[in-house]
This record gives sequence, C-alpha cells and structure tokens, in this order.
Amino acid sequence: CPNRMVKLYCLNVLYKNNTSAVRLKSAYDLQSFSLFQRGSVQEFMGFVSKTIVERTPPASRQSVKEGEYMCHVYVRADNLAGIVISDHEYPSRVSHTLITKILDEFTQKIPPSSWTLITEKDVVFPQLNTYLAKYQNPREADAMTKIQEDLDETTIILHNTIQAVLQRGEKLDDLVSKSEDLTIQSKAFYKTARKTNSCCTFS
Amino acid sequence: MQARRRRTGSESEPLVVVDQYTRSPERYQFVQQQTNNVQNYIEEDFLEDYAEPEPIMTARDRTNEFVNTIQSLQGRNIARAIAVKDPKKSRAIQGHTEFMMVAKSIGRNITSTYTKLEKLTLLAKRKSLFDDRTSEIQELTYIIKGDLSSLNQQIAQLQDISKRQKHTTSGKHLHSHSSSVVLALQSKLATMSTDFKQILEVRTENLRYQKNRLDQFSQGAVNSSIPPSYSANRQGNSDLMHEQDQVSINLESSALIPRQQMQASLVYDQTDNYLQSRAETMQNIESTIVELGGIFQQLAHMVKEQEEMVERIDTNVQDAELNIEAAHTQILKYFQSVTSNRWLMIKIFGVLIFFFIFFVVFLA
Repeated sequence: CPNRMVKLYCLNVLYKNNTSAVRLKSAYDLQSFSLFQRGSVQEFMGFVSKTIVERTPPASRQSVKEGEYMCHVYVRADNLAGIVISDHEYPSRVSHTLITKILDEFTQKIPPSSWTLITEKDVVFPQLNTYLAKYQNPREADAMTKIQEDLDETTIILHNTIQAVLQRGEKLDDLVSKSEDLTIQSKAFYKTARKTNSCCTFS
Repeated sequence: MQARRRRTGSESEPLVVVDQYTRSPERYQFVQQQTNNVQNYIEEDFLEDYAEPEPIMTARDRTNEFVNTIQSLQGRNIARAIAVKDPKKSRAIQGHTEFMMVAKSIGRNITSTYTKLEKLTLLAKRKSLFDDRTSEIQELTYIIKGDLSSLNQQIAQLQDISKRQKHTTSGKHLHSHSSSVVLALQSKLATMSTDFKQILEVRTENLRYQKNRLDQFSQGAVNSSIPPSYSANRQGNSDLMHEQDQVSINLESSALIPRQQMQASLVYDQTDNYLQSRAETMQNIESTIVELGGIFQQLAHMVKEQEEMVERIDTNVQDAELNIEAAHTQILKYFQSVTSNRWLMIKIFGVLIFFFIFFVVFLA
C-alpha cells in the first residue's frame, strides 16, 4: 500500500554563494500529487530549499519540519549543499547519508572550480534521479538499515530454530521411552517363546 | 535581654545536646573573655544590637551555665561509668554509650533520608505533561544517593566500633544488643534503597509514558515499524531525555510559524544528532551480531545434548531387534517341532494298540 511507504519527494544540489543559493541540479518525484498541483509544488520545494540553504551556516546539518514534509539539509564547508525533502517517517539518518553520498559524487563528476559558473542547464548528473528512485525504499538502499533488518530477520529465524530444536528434544524423549518399552517387551516375548519351546510336554 | 535569651534557650530544648554542644565553644570563648574582665563587642547577638544600638555590650557572667552544660554532656558518658566504680565496666559502659550515640545519629540521618525519599516519591508520581520538575527530581535523586552511600559508610563504621568493643571487654548481652542494633539499622537502610530503586523505576515508566503522550500530541510521530532491537535500545534511560529534547525542538521549528521564527531554530546544528544516530545504529548492529553468535552457540549446545538421546534410542532399538530375532527363531523351532512331532506317532500307535487290545480282549 503506497500510503504507508515512506516517501522522498525531492532531491536538490545547490551552491551557496555569499548572497544567495544557486540551484545546480534537482530531481523530483511528484507522482503522489495531482497533475495540476505538480507545478506549484515543484516551485514551492525549490523556493524552500533555496531559503533554507541560505539560512544554514556552512559545515552543518539540519532537519526542519515544513508542514507535512521534512527537509533534511547539509551544507558542506566548501559551500556545496544538498537537500532532501521527504515525509515525516523517512529516517533522518538515512537522508543525511544520502545527501553526503550525493555531494561526494557530484564533487567527483563536476569539478569544484565550475560551481560558481555553471547554471542548472549545463549540469549533467543523472545519478540524482536514480538515487531518488532507489532511496524511496530506505530499508533496502541504506546499507546500515539493510544490515539491521537482515540481522533482525536472522534473529527471528534463529529463535524459531531454537523452538524447533526444543520440540525435537521433546520428541526424542518420547522416542527414547518408547524404544525402551519396545526393548523390554521384545525381551519378554523372547523369553516366552523360549519357554514354550523348551517345555516338551504339551500343556 | 535576659528574657529573650531564655526563650531561645528553651525553644531548642529537644536538641539540647547537639545545639548546646555546638554553641558551647563560642560561649566558652565568651565566658573566658568575660572572666578576664574584658568588655568586648559581641557580634553574635544581633537581636540585641537591633533593639539597643550600643557600641559596647555589657558582658554577662555565664560561667555557671557553661559548667552545667559541660557536666550534663559528660554526665551521660562518664557519670554512669563513675557510679559503677569498676574500671573495666566503666570502660565498657563508656564504649557502649559512644556506640549508642553513633547509632542515634545514624537513625536520625535515616529518618531525614526517608522524608527526602517520600518527597521524591510524590514528585515522581505526578503524571502531568506540563509541570515536570525534572531538575528538582534529579537534584533530589543525587542527594538521596549521596545520603545512602554516607549512611552505608556510617553503618560500616558502627559495625567496626561494635567489633572493637567485642575485643576489649563487654558482656555477652551488650555485644548481642549492639549487633542487633547494627542489624536493624542495616535492614532499614536496605528497605530504603529498595524503595529508592522502585521510585526510580516508576520515574522511568512515567517518562516513557509522557514521551508517548507528547508524541501523540506533537506532529513528529515516531515510526512504529522500527525493528524491535532498534526501538528497545532507544528507550534506554539516557536516550529518553535526549529524545524529549528532540521532540520539543521539533515542536518549536514547526513551519506554521512565519519565517522569522524559523531563523532562530535554524542556528541549531544537527550534525551531532546525525553522527550520534549513526553511532547508535552501528552499536545496535554490533550487539545484534554478538547476540546472534550467542544464539548459535546455544543452538549447537542443545543439539549436542540431544545427540546423546539419539544414541540411546539407537541402542534400544538394536536391542529390541536382537530380541525379536531370537524370539522369532525360537518360535520357528517350536513350529518345526510341532509340525514334525515323532512323539505324536508313538502316541497314536499307543492309543490304537490300546483300543485294539481292548476290543479283542473284551469282545472275544
């Protein structure tokens, strides 16, 4: 059910000047909004990300609540900033990890010297969209959450295994007693058979 | 002047021993000065200054009072001992009274700590969301902890004193009395520490409850499908306070408020939170892995134990098989003997011959 899934709406990379913030690249996932709202929502998100980046000091992280959405922003020391707009249930740790990752890749692909010069049209960074799609499901995308989940699953499986082993123990107990009975009775059977055989008179 | 002094003296009647003892050094000084016939300005009694602003106070002769005080103080200790007139017994009694005085002070401390504990109980049991006196509760908790440890030390000292007295002289009854007193004090201390622990548990329970209610009322709802280990760790005692701070800060930075107020909350840098949550998650993962290792070991152990039972079953079943085989052969032998019985032929012939002879003899 898509309503219960956590949702990432927008992923922005900005550059923070002394005066303002310049948007370098953005990726949006606005499928949950109706066609008519999408334009205004997109503008609103762009505006909000610009404002927040302008007001955040460099080398700091923030998670700001914004109506129904949650803005996670990270401004690096070299004034490159990343913003993730998500709903309230998206874990903030994962979003900050995502931002850090994106900023690192962005720095690798597009050299820092050109940040002040280029505009949004020149930037070629398709990974933003792929990341946005991938991180819609934070449990799978984020390594730590994934490991945690796997471990929890394994724990549950192990608990079930131990239960099964306990039951096996009980059944083994049962089998032991039954096999003891069997031994005793077969011994009696043997003795009776021997007795009927050794006694030669018929009676 | 005189009347006022007398009144203050009588008000402190129940605490006569301690108060007079603490005040008597000053009075002694005063009396000494006075017996040297020096008139001094006495700062101690500001009441009198207020009433009668004289620069030079007239000194009063309180030597008698001083002597009486000393006597009453020592009297408890020594008068009885002297009265007995036996040096050993007097030492014993002296030691015993010393023991009793220490025990009395411990008892008094215990009652005061008990009142503090009751106050803490009242504070901790309040369940209102808004009037949470965290600092008071924490202060009280700290004070009570200090008190408990000091009481512990005092009772240990008391025990040492009683042991020492046992070695010097003291009758059997005195010694058993002192040991029972020590025991009673220790049991009181133990009940107090269990009560304290219960109160702390109630307090953490209330904190958790308050946090749940805050989450219900605030907009920052916590994800309920967090895996169990993650959420269990988050509800540890120290994290609880931290999360309460986070919730209250989220409430403040709600964007229903105009942008200017957002500016104030934006100065707060959450890098620490992020790093801390990462560290926490890693710790969780590590502990889960360790747990898993333990579970695996347990599993292996259980299977090893059960292996023994499997072996028993195996032996039993083999025994049963042997027995059944043997019985089978016996029965086969029997069957053979039954089907080919030589005796049978002889018996048949015998019966035939008997009848033959019978018929021939009787009918011929």
